Amino acid sequence: MDTRSTLKLEAGSPETHAFGKPVSVTAKNWGWRHADRSAPALQGLDLEIPAGQRVLLAGASGAGKSTLLYALAGVLHEDDEAYSSGELCLDGRPVAEANGMVGLMQQDPETQVVQARVGDDVAFGAENLSVPPLEIQRRIIEALDAVGLDVALDHPTGALSGGQKQRLALAGILAMGPGLVLLDEPTANLDPAGVLEVRDAVINALDSTGATLVIVEHRLEAWAQHMDRVIVLEPGGGVAHDGSPQSLFAPGPVRDELINAGVWVPGYSPLVGMAAIDPAKGPALMLAKDLAVARTKNGRIAAKNLDLTVTGGGAWCVRGANGAGKSTFALTLGGLLPEVSGRVAATGELVDGDETRPYTWRAAELVGRIGSVFQEPEHQFVAATVREELAFGPRHAMKPGTKEQFFEPEAIEERVNELLHRLRLEHLAEANPFTLSGGEKRRLSVATILASSPSVLILDEPTFGQDANTWRELALLLREELAHGTAIIAVTHDQDFAKALGAEEFFMSAEPQGTAAADARVGLLEADARGGSSFLGRANPLAKMLAVGLATIPLVASMDWVSSGLVVLVTVLVLPLAGLSLGRFFTRAWPLVVAALLAAWGTALVGNDSGAVLLNLGLFTITEGSVAAGAATGLRAFAVAVPAVLILFTTDPTDLANALAQKAKLPHRFVLGALAGMRLLGLLIEEWTTLGMARRARGVGSRGSLVQRVQANLGQVFGLLVQAIRRASRLAVTMEAKGFGTSGRTWVRDSVFTARDLWIVLFGLTLATGAVLGAVFAGTWNLVWG
Amino acid sequence: MVTITGRGHNNTTPKNSNWRVVDIVVAAVIAVSSGVIFWAWNSAHHVLDFLFIAFPPSSALMAGMWLFPAVLGALIIRKPGAAIFCELVAATVSSLLGSEFGMTVFASGLIQGLGAELVFAGFRYRRWNLPVALLAGTVAGLFGGINDAFIFRWFPEYTMGMQIAYVGFMTVSGLVIAGLLSYFATRALAKTGALSALASRKAAVEPKFR
Repeated sequence: MDTRSTLKLEAGSPETHAFGKPVSVTAKNWGWRHADRSAPALQGLDLEIPAGQRVLLAGASGAGKSTLLYALAGVLHEDDEAYSSGELCLDGRPVAEANGMVGLMQQDPETQVVQARVGDDVAFGAENLSVPPLEIQRRIIEALDAVGLDVALDHPTGALSGGQKQRLALAGILAMGPGLVLLDEPTANLDPAGVLEVRDAVINALDSTGATLVIVEHRLEAWAQHMDRVIVLEPGGGVAHDGSPQSLFAPGPVRDELINAGVWVPGYSPLVGMAAIDPAKGPALMLAKDLAVARTKNGRIAAKNLDLTVTGGGAWCVRGANGAGKSTFALTLGGLLPEVSGRVAATGELVDGDETRPYTWRAAELVGRIGSVFQEPEHQFVAATVREELAFGPRHAMKPGTKEQFFEPEAIEERVNELLHRLRLEHLAEANPFTLSGGEKRRLSVATILASSPSVLILDEPTFGQDANTWRELALLLREELAHGTAIIAVTHDQDFAKALGAEEFFMSAEPQGTAAADARVGLLEADARGGSSFLGRANPLAKMLAVGLATIPLVASMDWVSSGLVVLVTVLVLPLAGLSLGRFFTRAWPLVVAALLAAWGTALVGNDSGAVLLNLGLFTITEGSVAAGAATGLRAFAVAVPAVLILFTTDPTDLANALAQKAKLPHRFVLGALAGMRLLGLLIEEWTTLGMARRARGVGSRGSLVQRVQANLGQVFGLLVQAIRRASRLAVTMEAKGFGTSGRTWVRDSVFTARDLWIVLFGLTLATGAVLGAVFAGTWNLVWG
Repeated sequence: MVTITGRGHNNTTPKNSNWRVVDIVVAAVIAVSSGVIFWAWNSAHHVLDFLFIAFPPSSALMAGMWLFPAVLGALIIRKPGAAIFCELVAATVSSLLGSEFGMTVFASGLIQGLGAELVFAGFRYRRWNLPVALLAGTVAGLFGGINDAFIFRWFPEYTMGMQIAYVGFMTVSGLVIAGLLSYFATRALAKTGALSALASRKAAVEPKFR
């Protein structure tokens, strides 16, 4: 492995302890009003939490639980419109002065991680608090041990599972040594195994540090027994109930009140009162035969040998471990991904026309027959109001093979009104779908798919993160659909939900190479393993950039084949220093060749004509002279581009950011902010693909007129921006809660200049000089500004 | 009454020029998303290639794509330097994804971002309406076009007329793609509530021309 990027581990001094002392919380008549709301999120809150207590915050959604956590974490900001009232103190001091006393974890694992490598990520918070590097290195080991995360320090964070990411986030919090740990639904996005994994890590860590804990959770089952106290908040007010878990969750009025508010009280299941059903087996609608599925065209096969016959009125629950390919299977059944081998075919009444393969149907033909509900409701929103959102599917649905509408306008109107009423969304009919609450979004996203009356309904983890009320409504709605003869396939870990639908289990076992799925995303931004350990890989990124920058100067200045040719030649000769073979180089550089050829063509077409005419195109002619000029242009374009490949292949963005902040003295807030944003690149590319499928399931086609296609693309761009900004906002909270944004910080990974870097810069300078002199002596030097 | 502010939040600096953590990270992610959009765009825009092959300077009509991070970022973040920062980060991302412009992409990013930045600075970072957005997109396109045609001189064989046509095409492209689209994208984003933590959270209800 790369020695430079491996953190040196040295035994720390045993007398300093990594963890801070427990902190108490006091609220006196405290309140907070958000900027874009008329009513305060919280007001008149009086609260006293002694140091070391473990507190569960409960209450209906909108009761201000998260607001209180964020205020305690110091990430809420007052401005013209947002303000607090009363007092909120930690250990008797205002929250604003509590630097480093508090750690916060949110629910989305992807935005709890800041850095690309495990060790760097654990260190991030402690660095911001200016903890000495040697001490941080000791804490990294201790914190990873406390959360039971046994991976190498340079392990890529992108390759971790959701549960592992949350444990990593916890390790980063522990390394800061906080006296108060705040958890905002830390397990809402995890499967049952992940929930227990994170719960155990939290309890373990607290047992050893004694820190105060405040946690907000909907699903209380896993946590209740470990809590000292439960505080129930009153929406828009203060504390509604306060007591031990045993007393509040025991049968009685408080328990009933919590159940009514949708809280998952331990021992309660919304299944109560639902009769067991045994879905009827109607006619066959679809079948999967000897099917193999994969996420991308030439990607790893996620699952194979899948056989399923889907019948009207039947329900299936797809289960299996993470990485078993459950979602991929669901997307393939839904006609959103092509089969790798085997087939997915519509049968019986679902076939209309000749085409039985759902993947080949137009989006407009798909929506009336197979509906797919994605895990993230926002991925499927395509309209500006709830009403339009519901009308969108039926309005776009077309009869197979025709341009005929599936539904009459009056029928659509009626269907939309019925769904609005059925899902209690009438008062939100004109609201923007993105502004609804979590439960409302989930209900809407299911309703939008049901609106065009598909015969087969496919859902991916529909109950993740939902409160008990939404859960119950969803179950009842789907039971109605089953009674109407709709077939339902749900990918879910939720056994109660499967029971509510009377679903038959479809179990998928993980393929042996099960972890490769997560690996796919890693490496997009990290230097190639071979490149990273090469001669250039161990150099300082600034030296490499300076050298390449110098070598680019003569290329920009002169349009001639000698200087360009020389730079290309030297680049190819030094490929071994970057650990690159010619073959690997060209797999990366071929788009540059294409670009160069286009540039050459452009010049050949319009260049000053001289010599024999080779081709006459009317307005333009191609001549010997213009071809020569074109070749020089193309070679110059290529020479400008290729040396950068050496940097790209051998430079880790983290090292580049460290060098820019430490050596080039750029403001570290901007450099590290940009770096954290870039870590989302792979995720956003994945999100782009998911959006494309989610929108096809809504009837947004990639086919049609140019205008329609431009509209579809702009809609997808917009969807991406919404998701990107939401993630960025959460990531910013994570970073700020980890103390990011202060003027000083320490660096656990030093950026250094060595003799090697001096040689690299000198080499760049020599190449630049050589290219100029070579061209001048050859008589080809041709200043472009002449 | 207690004040809750973030660590490092400094109340003595003017509110408008003070970058908070959320401003920095959202700006970076807007730029990174632009990188993803460039990437998706690269595999999708070949329908128009025939046009550019017949009259190469017209390729600048699509160049506004490379400029929108500057205008969009500034309209959303509303802080001094946002246009330059977003355009520079977007340039970095495109170089990481394999740019055909090598190291020069940083210089181009800086110059294009500067074009938009100067317009917003000219209005003292107080006007974020449609005319200002259009002007910012236009100047970014103008700077970008001049940079390509007369500073880096990517097309030394073009006649002066064609060079000017190139600059003209890029300016129009900046006006439409970087200016117009960014402005309406910002309004639409504000309607979703995604901008609630940012200075532009009310963009959807602000007058277009005042």
